[in-house]
Amino acid sequence: MNLLDPILLSLRVAGLATVITAVLGLFLAARLNATRSRPGRILAGGLESLILAPMVFPPTMTGYLLLLLLGPNGPVGSLWGASGGLLFSWLAAVIASVVVSLPLMYQSAKTALTSVDPHCIAAARTLGSSERRIFWKITVPLAWPGIAGGMALAFARAIGEFGATLMVAGNIPGATQTIPLALYSAVESGNTSAANLLLGVTVALSFAIVIVVRWSERRTAASRAHRLAGGGSR
Amino acid sequence: MIQANCTRRLPEFVLDVSLSVAPGETLVIQGESGAGKTSLLECIAGLAAPDCGTIIINQVTVWSSQDRINLSPQERAAGFVFQDTALFPHMCALENVSFAVTAGYRRRHETVPQKKAVAALAQQELERLGIAHLAHARPRMLSGGERQRLALARALAAQPSVLLLDEPFSALDRKTREEMWRIVRELKTGTRLSLVLVTHDHEEAQVLADRILQIDRGLIHDDA
Repeated sequence: MNLLDPILLSLRVAGLATVITAVLGLFLAARLNATRSRPGRILAGGLESLILAPMVFPPTMTGYLLLLLLGPNGPVGSLWGASGGLLFSWLAAVIASVVVSLPLMYQSAKTALTSVDPHCIAAARTLGSSERRIFWKITVPLAWPGIAGGMALAFARAIGEFGATLMVAGNIPGATQTIPLALYSAVESGNTSAANLLLGVTVALSFAIVIVVRWSERRTAASRAHRLAGGGSR
Repeated sequence: MIQANCTRRLPEFVLDVSLSVAPGETLVIQGESGAGKTSLLECIAGLAAPDCGTIIINQVTVWSSQDRINLSPQERAAGFVFQDTALFPHMCALENVSFAVTAGYRRRHETVPQKKAVAALAQQELERLGIAHLAHARPRMLSGGERQRLALARALAAQPSVLLLDEPFSALDRKTREEMWRIVRELKTGTRLSLVLVTHDHEEAQVLADRILQIDRGLIHDDA
């Protein structure tokens, strides 16, 4: 059993899914958070429920829904032509990972953005700075520890994704077989040494992710305490 | 020059003010905590919207309920110094001021100079406020007085047409406060910048004001 393929594929799938999730999660959190009008808030609430749904939905059900969407007769899959293009490819695994990790990124980004000192934003506005510049130069850097924590959680969720990935990408060695799927196959075929090695890789990655999350939590807590104590920016 | 005639419903009372500040004049609005001082400044700066009325800054109507005009804070050119300074904690002093220099150029629709030229202008502003030696210090490394000087330098670097000061010296010790009073008086010399300072400190009002207004539960009822 070639173990390098599932490890490299998992890193590729989780890496790309994290980048997409980070951009999408940050954009959605910023937009929905900035909505002020009553109809806008109702719409934002509905969209937020949709984003968060995969967190409480069984992954296999999410996978089945994606299968319906991405299948040759589905609204997205039909755009790909009759070949069924997206299904059972590594890109389908990326899509599944994005859908299941987006709620974690969205929640983290939302918390991080709302923890930014509103006086800093107000000060930047009175200086004449555009909203876009304020977002990139003030909001994102100040919210960065929380955003980084969200990215770490999204990466962890993506690398551990099993149910939805199996439904839309299958378990094709060398093509769509990620670490969790390879582990499942190894255990099923009684290949304990391969399963142990995959377990070791996953544990090492998990430790690295936990370190990033703890660091981001400490930074966020420290900056909040600093703000409340009236130091630095306040 | 500022002309404000507006009302705004607040949780406990209605802010109902009518005032004008001439070019180069320092108007001090004095009142107890929760009297509506900060809300008034926020309405002028565009950080809060009145319910009705008109606000004019340098002959430009920035708010009018009748004509449905509501210019953004970015378009009003009203510098604001917050009580808590609101400095950007992830930037050093020079970067804080450089941000304002760049924002000022963009607001005036002028070409932003090269990074080095922006930094030189920011450095000049820090020198004017006597904190050039702290250019590379982050806000958390500065004392209360130094932070307020930096906040003032940042507000002035954007070249505002009016400057609004929201109890900026209330958290400082007496010696530092007197130093800040001296700096504000020096800044005023030779400029036509209109200043509105809100404070609950009677002595501060006496030292800095050309004119003092009293505010109580949203109403201006005394012009001393």
